[in-house]
Amino acid sequence: MVPDPDAALLLAFQRGDESAFRTLFERHARSMVAFCHHFVRDQARAEELAQDVFLKLHQAAPRYQPSARFQTFLYRIASNHCLNELRRGEHQARRAAGADGEPAEPDALPGHGATPEEAARGAALERAVARMLAGLPEKQRLALVLCRFQGLSYEEIAGVLETTVPAVKSLVHRATVAAAEALAPWAPGEERRS
Amino acid sequence: MSHLGENLTAFLDGALSPAEREEALHHLAGCAACRAEEARLRGALAALAALPLPPEPSPAFEQRFHARLARQRSERRGWLARLPARWVLPAAAACAAAVLAVGVELRQRRELEHAARHLDLLESYEAVEAAGDVPPEDAELVAHLHELGGER
Repeated sequence: MVPDPDAALLLAFQRGDESAFRTLFERHARSMVAFCHHFVRDQARAEELAQDVFLKLHQAAPRYQPSARFQTFLYRIASNHCLNELRRGEHQARRAAGADGEPAEPDALPGHGATPEEAARGAALERAVARMLAGLPEKQRLALVLCRFQGLSYEEIAGVLETTVPAVKSLVHRATVAAAEALAPWAPGEERRS
Repeated sequence: MSHLGENLTAFLDGALSPAEREEALHHLAGCAACRAEEARLRGALAALAALPLPPEPSPAFEQRFHARLARQRSERRGWLARLPARWVLPAAAACAAAVLAVGVELRQRRELEHAARHLDLLESYEAVEAAGDVPPEDAELVAHLHELGGER
């Protein structure tokens, strides 16, 4: 097995090395906030959820077995936590109330970016992706986020979702097909394989 | 002819084996429907890649986390610290009483066992004689018993 430096850090933390946990936090804080943001689309809430994930990691560390990759262990905690958050429905309802009435056109609203036009396009695309993700079944949503935004391989996603690689292949495919339908207005027209 | 289906997305993700990839390329060369689907999926991937970058954690993110962690630890310790006043002392007293009761029980059992063993010894007149420190009437009885034993 390829050595996993993060796993070594978590094992060091198991032995009482608090600085090892701090290093893990620094390494993965950004990706955890980004991951959580794909579920709640709100910076403050995403940060709160990411902090929850690290608090859970801190508590679950004694149960960690080095046979599992650290990344798998961390994303499993994060996935369960974000899905629970969605199931609670509070945030979902709040976001739906805010987003459904907004236009979903590529050149809709102002936001952040290099130019006002780019910012508006980016903000509208974000809303369209959020709506698309919200419409996916839970596992497809997780598979899509882990694959397209967090950069995990099919094998790694299978570890997080505790399923098989063929099952992940199917989940990612169905979610990508759904994305193709939902995001057709944003697809570059000249994107064709030669 | 069956189309690529799930293998098309896996092909775009570089998740096929070399043999599967060759097969997919060969299929795409001869299948307009799969080429159209490939273009559609590539468009979706391009749109997803064009999303604005996710937000960076705010400057106070790490500080807030460590404050929460410290609070969580303090609450755990506080929970334990609050216990002695209401729960730990009575619980400790109950434990001590239980240990004492078990000790008394064990001691009584040991004494009974010892008595039982001793009773066996008392049933043997030889043991009574060996004890030495016996009243004269008992010594007389032991001697008599010796005589009786010698007659057998």
